[in-house]
Amino acid sequence: MSSGPAIETRGVTRVFESRKGFLFREKSRTEALKGVDLTVERGSIFGLLGPNGAGKTTLTKILSTLLLPTAGTALVLGHDVTRETDWLRPRMGLVLGGERGLYNRISARENLRYFADLYGVPPEARERRIDEVLERVGLIGPASDQRVEEFSRGMKQKLHIARGILHRPEILFLDEPTIGLDPKSARETRKLIRCLVTDGVTIFLTTHYMFEAEELCPKLAVLSKGRIVARDTVDGLRALVGGDRTFEAEAYGFEDEEVARLRAIPGVSKVVSESYGPTTRLTMRVRTTEATLDDVRSRLTGHPELSLRERRTSLEDVYLDLVEEEAR
Amino acid sequence: MAAVGTYSRGRSTAASIRLSLLQFVADPQWLLPSMIAPVLFGLVSFELFRGEGPYFLTYAILGAGMMSMWGQTLYGSGWATGQDREWGTLEPTIQAPTPYLYVVLGRVVWNVLSGLLGGLIVYVVVVAAAGGPPTLPNPAAFALMFVFVLLTLAAVGVVFAAFYVYTRYAGFIQDIGEFAFYVGTGCMFPVVILPFWATPVSLFFPPTWAVDALRYLAIPGYVGFSWGVGWDIVGAIATTAVYLAVAGLIFHRVERHVLEEGNLSQY
Repeated sequence: MSSGPAIETRGVTRVFESRKGFLFREKSRTEALKGVDLTVERGSIFGLLGPNGAGKTTLTKILSTLLLPTAGTALVLGHDVTRETDWLRPRMGLVLGGERGLYNRISARENLRYFADLYGVPPEARERRIDEVLERVGLIGPASDQRVEEFSRGMKQKLHIARGILHRPEILFLDEPTIGLDPKSARETRKLIRCLVTDGVTIFLTTHYMFEAEELCPKLAVLSKGRIVARDTVDGLRALVGGDRTFEAEAYGFEDEEVARLRAIPGVSKVVSESYGPTTRLTMRVRTTEATLDDVRSRLTGHPELSLRERRTSLEDVYLDLVEEEAR
Repeated sequence: MAAVGTYSRGRSTAASIRLSLLQFVADPQWLLPSMIAPVLFGLVSFELFRGEGPYFLTYAILGAGMMSMWGQTLYGSGWATGQDREWGTLEPTIQAPTPYLYVVLGRVVWNVLSGLLGGLIVYVVVVAAAGGPPTLPNPAAFALMFVFVLLTLAAVGVVFAAFYVYTRYAGFIQDIGEFAFYVGTGCMFPVVILPFWATPVSLFFPPTWAVDALRYLAIPGYVGFSWGVGWDIVGAIATTAVYLAVAGLIFHRVERHVLEEGNLSQY
């Protein structure tokens, strides 16, 4: 296997132009990606997080050779995605998922046979390989010979994944792979993803599920409005938003001076106030060892109903902080 | 884990034929155009041409045969590509290492085969209605030319399929041109009876030449293009070759274009 990063993008930009109207055509322009720089190491799982419309699928499609960037360069396994598709396509798998993308009137096995032939899976290994991937995604048995139109959404999702790994790719692009799966199947899928990495496959994963990203991805990037707004390990991202711990104080209203006193505590990086009916919640990002709940309590006297809580800053907190900051 | 497979053009084309067959068997709607319609066309055509001279049976078979075969053979591949768009299967198919052209070729072969089935049904129906087979001066040459007519339709079909990859509006364009193409290529009537300005346009299409040659071979005394059957065959081969070459070129460009536009999943 050659060295170098699995994915390397520099200034990847993608603009979509569309036209509306019949006689008087109106042209609109959407900049889906705005100069994305990204490096993903080989043999790892890299997570890409972002709200709807952030550009995650656009970036996934560019990296998997289904879309050309308007500007910038993208190398996958050291090869240019715009010029070296013949080299890249047999080495990459793509799972876009969803209800579409499968031949519904034929069986799961026949879907896989067709794509095995298009991907050049050796003929003598084809049936064995199909059984193997059906087994891995949990579709082996009568379901494999059932028409896909009779499948639940979760079963279709599993079949998408089976197709993505059928030809044993070196790099696998997974666009929200557990969407539509029940908790048990989602857990099995995450287990499968970890097994694939153990086998040496690089995984590029987009997801909306923060716990999934936290569980699977040693490194993450957050994409918002077409830009990478942060890129690090989960702990690194926690540090980036100002604290690995989160304090929550809830009471019947807080004075502005009290909030200012909290902001002045050493180690408190951020205080956000939200109202829930008659109560107000203050959420504070705090760096460990620098501030304690007692510091907070001492600055919030005269609140008999005060409730204080301390927890680890979750990836969801980090994500929301980053995305909201970008939106401002 | 990596074990890079190498696609084979023949295997990919065979996979595409197999997929077409499976979908044909799985979907009862195909029974209508491919098996029931030829029966109806054959019976109607037999009644229309009955008593129109000694070769009325040949006219009936050619008329009904072309009616039942041309649409499916010509547009079947394009239509299947349109369905790929609708089902979202165009993206994974384009993303596979095999060039999409070979998937289309497989569909073309399938459509030629199902076109032949339609032609055979027409033949059987008309012969059964008449109580005996038509008189053909040269049955072997006729049969060969019959298959070649289908290939010329298929060659145009490959080019049409490229439009379905190019744009989701290809079906709309096809619907507009369908009848004009049917008449213009002489599938319905000999081109020589059309207005004079129609002939130069018709000659751009391989089926025009091939259908004229087929009539020459099937009907003694037929008056078609003045240059006769030999040049008809030469013209059909030459234009078919041009269409296939153009298809090879434009498919590559069309694939590039859709990757630029990013409209593969739109339908």
